[in-house]
This record gives sequence, structure tokens and C-alpha cells, in this order.
Amino acid sequence: MNTKQTNKKVIEVRNLSKKFDKNIVLQDINFDLCEGESLAIIGASGSGKSVLLKNIIGLLKPDKGSIKINNIETINLSRAKKENLILDLGITFQHGALFDSLKIWENVIFKIQRLKKLSKIDGQKLALDVIKNLGLKAEILNLYPSEISGGMQKRVAIARAICSKPKILLFDEPTSGLDPVTGSVIDELIVNSVKSLGASAITITHDMASVSRIADKVILIDQHKISWVGTPHEMLRSDNLKIQDFIKAINPSLFK
Amino acid sequence: MIKTIANIFGSIGYTCLRFLSQIGNFFIFCITALFWTIRPPWYFKQIFSQIIDIGFFSLPVVGLTTFFSGMVLALQTYSGFSEFNSESTVARVVLTSITRELGPVLTGLMVAGRVGAKMAAEIATMKVTEQIDALGTLGTRPMQYLIAPKLIASIICIPFLVLIGNTIGILGGYIIATYKLNFNSELYLYATLEYLQWIDVIQGLVKAAIFGYIISMLSCYFGYNASRGAEGVGYATTAAVVTSSVMILTSTYIITALFFG
Repeated sequence: MNTKQTNKKVIEVRNLSKKFDKNIVLQDINFDLCEGESLAIIGASGSGKSVLLKNIIGLLKPDKGSIKINNIETINLSRAKKENLILDLGITFQHGALFDSLKIWENVIFKIQRLKKLSKIDGQKLALDVIKNLGLKAEILNLYPSEISGGMQKRVAIARAICSKPKILLFDEPTSGLDPVTGSVIDELIVNSVKSLGASAITITHDMASVSRIADKVILIDQHKISWVGTPHEMLRSDNLKIQDFIKAINPSLFK
Repeated sequence: MIKTIANIFGSIGYTCLRFLSQIGNFFIFCITALFWTIRPPWYFKQIFSQIIDIGFFSLPVVGLTTFFSGMVLALQTYSGFSEFNSESTVARVVLTSITRELGPVLTGLMVAGRVGAKMAAEIATMKVTEQIDALGTLGTRPMQYLIAPKLIASIICIPFLVLIGNTIGILGGYIIATYKLNFNSELYLYATLEYLQWIDVIQGLVKAAIFGYIISMLSCYFGYNASRGAEGVGYATTAAVVTSSVMILTSTYIITALFFG
């Protein structure tokens, strides 16, 4: 994606392991996200990608390991401090996770409204500014999430994530369930949002086309572990059998 | 043979442990919910919206239920007691039954069916669609934003519903007694007021507040712990209504025993 990258680590994950009962999901995961970097985490369904994301944002607690965000250890951090730390992140969930009972503009400014009181007019104006940049029209502001398409819901979810101008963005399968054209539009929006905010990003996906469009670095999770790390360019030419199998299975046309 | 017996005991033990673990989890959930309910910030918009939903929109169903219960009670009491020439006790039986038991219990059961199911389904859907996870990442504690308003509104609204239900139930009994059973209207009203005991009304309101706590907590608990998509939402809703109903009937006995035992 070629944004301004530095060597400053904004997220550091070390020896992270997680299991549910006896079912091991993640084992000794290690990686860094540097400032300005866009990292894609790929892997088959059920490989633990979303669990990894939930560990990073504190929704799950790892059994072992360390997660640092902006050099602050998040494991065992007090609830209040963890909440403050997570406020600095912009997160989109796999299915959008927009609040059904709130209108689109209320969804977009939800986080901002928690931080500072906004009047209805100011809130709608702010929401409009954000959604316009994502190619959405003002007419949807007063609709409910169930009244707009899946692609629009994904864009609104991105709008909600970037509204507070966070420096770290986390996207969980942003193009899942979308047609290729809408998927590429969402990828473009992610690239533009990350660039305009000067942010760092982690995107969980198994869409290889997305990976080549949005990522500077790719991590493959297989059999609960990181089995390959490289750039999208290296990935397409990798002789690693797991990478080859993964690309062939997901999108044979990309494999050379 | 030994293996089969061991398996049976194993299953029983596993079920018991799971049940105890659920009770423990529910207890922790209740304490946590109370803690976040008394701590600011309070989401007044959510509380008001829940008060309208629980209090106002439950009025028709509560009114109809208690109205017909009062009518049936007057008829049944009359037909039973007239054999012993004790028709004059109809007003007293209707009043005592409605204020002590039928008013609070029927209101509790109706609210559990209407509001409890809605609460459980709403929270369960939010849970399985990651909306609750999203809340946590947007600077809002789900317990304070989702659960506390429901708890506060339930504890406030159900006693008012019971008061209204009691009045409507007694009115139902009065209508049957005066228009169908030919009781003297003034005498019936005089008897009703004469036998009105404040301890009965207060006991009914205490029950109502406890039912409000039970319904909101159980519904939110089952919703909050839902999993497995649509099936999980269905399970949470059913479990919320059934458990709330059973708990209402169980706790009404305990409260009655404490007041009058």
C-alpha cells in the first residue's frame, strides 16, 4: 500500500496461544504491526484468524503470551485502561455489527458521541462528512441498517470505525459475502482510509484479490500457527506448499 | 455393565456440575449488573425507552388478564360459597386473591412472556451478530448500555403494572358481582374498601419489584450468553420465558411465606 512506514511497532504479539477447552486454536503466534503498515492475516475458515483479532482487541483473553498496543502490555491491564486503549482503535466486524435499533448516522457517530456530546444536527453533519467520503449518499443517514444493502452496511461499518480518526484499524473479513465488484470498492475504501488517516491496519481475510490490493505484508495462519510471512508479491511466487495450496483453493487464477 | 453404570453416573455428574456452574454464572451476572446499574453514566434515553416498552405497552395484556381473572374469581367464589350461604365474602375473596397473589403473579407471567422474550431475543441477536462485541470497542460497556436500563425499567414498571392490574381485577369482580350476581353496588364497594389491607398491597408490590428483577436478569442472562446463531436466539428466548415463569411461581411462595408464614 506504500503509506509512510516506520519501524515503530504499534502492535506486538508474542507467543500468543489460545484454546477453548481442549481445542487448540492459536499456538505461539508472533508478529508485529509497524506504524503505517497494512498487514493481512489469511487462513482457512476456522484457522483462528478472528480469534486472534478478538485477543488483540481484548474480547478474549489469551491463555499465554503478550500483546502490546502502542508499547503498552494489554494482558492483565485494568479494565478502565484497556477500554481507553481500545478507544484508540477502529474496528470493523465480520458482519458489520451495526446496531439495528439505531439509524445510520447514530451508528456512525456512536463512539464520538460517547467521548463528547454532540447535538443531533452536528452529529448528522459529522456522519454525512464521513459517509460521503466513502461514496454513500445523504439519503441513507436516517435509515436503519436493515434498510440498506450488505455492501452499504460494510461501508457504514468502515465509516463508524474511521469516524474517530484512529491510528490503528482492524478489519475482520471486510469483503466477505460481497460480490467481487463491491469487494474491490471496499478494498479501495480501506486503502484510502488507511492512507488518509496515516494509520496502520490489520485485515483478516481469505480473499486473495483483497490481499494483493490492500496489504504490505501477509501472514498465513495454518494448523494454529503462523506458517508463512511475506509480501503479496512474494506470496504469489512462493514455493511454500501451504501458500500454494491456499491460493489454488481460493483463487487458482492468481497462482503462477 | 460397569462401564454403562459409570457412563450413567458420569452423565448425571456432568449435568449437575453444569447446572451448578450455570447458577454460579447467573449469580455473578446479577451482581455485575447491579454494580453497573448503580454506577454512572446512566443512559436515560434507554431507560425511558424501556419504561415505555415495559410499562406502557404491557398495559393492555395485563389489564385484560387481570380483568377477566377478577370476573372469573367473582363467579367461582359465588358459585362455591353460595352453597354455604357465604356469598357476602365474594368481595373479600376477590380483593385478597387479586392483591396478594393473582395481580402480581399474572402481571409477572404476562410481562415475562411479552417483555422477557423480547429482551432475551434482542440481546441474543446482538450477541450472535457481534453487536455486543462492537459496543465494547466503541467506548460503551454493554452491561451499562443494554442491561442496566432494562433492569431499572423492570423494577420501576412492574409494581405500577401490578397496581393498575389489581384495580382492574377488582373492577372485573365488581362488574360481575353487581351486574350478573345482583350484589348491591354500594355494599360491595364498602366491603371491598373495608377489607383492603395495606400489607396485602405492599406485599404485592414487593413481589412485583422482585419479579421485575427476576424477569430482566434471567432474560438478559440467557440473551447475553446466547450462541449458535438463530438456534441460539430461539433457545435463549424459550429459556428466558420458561425459567422466569418458574422462578416467579417459586418466589411468590417464598415471599408469601415470609410475609404471612
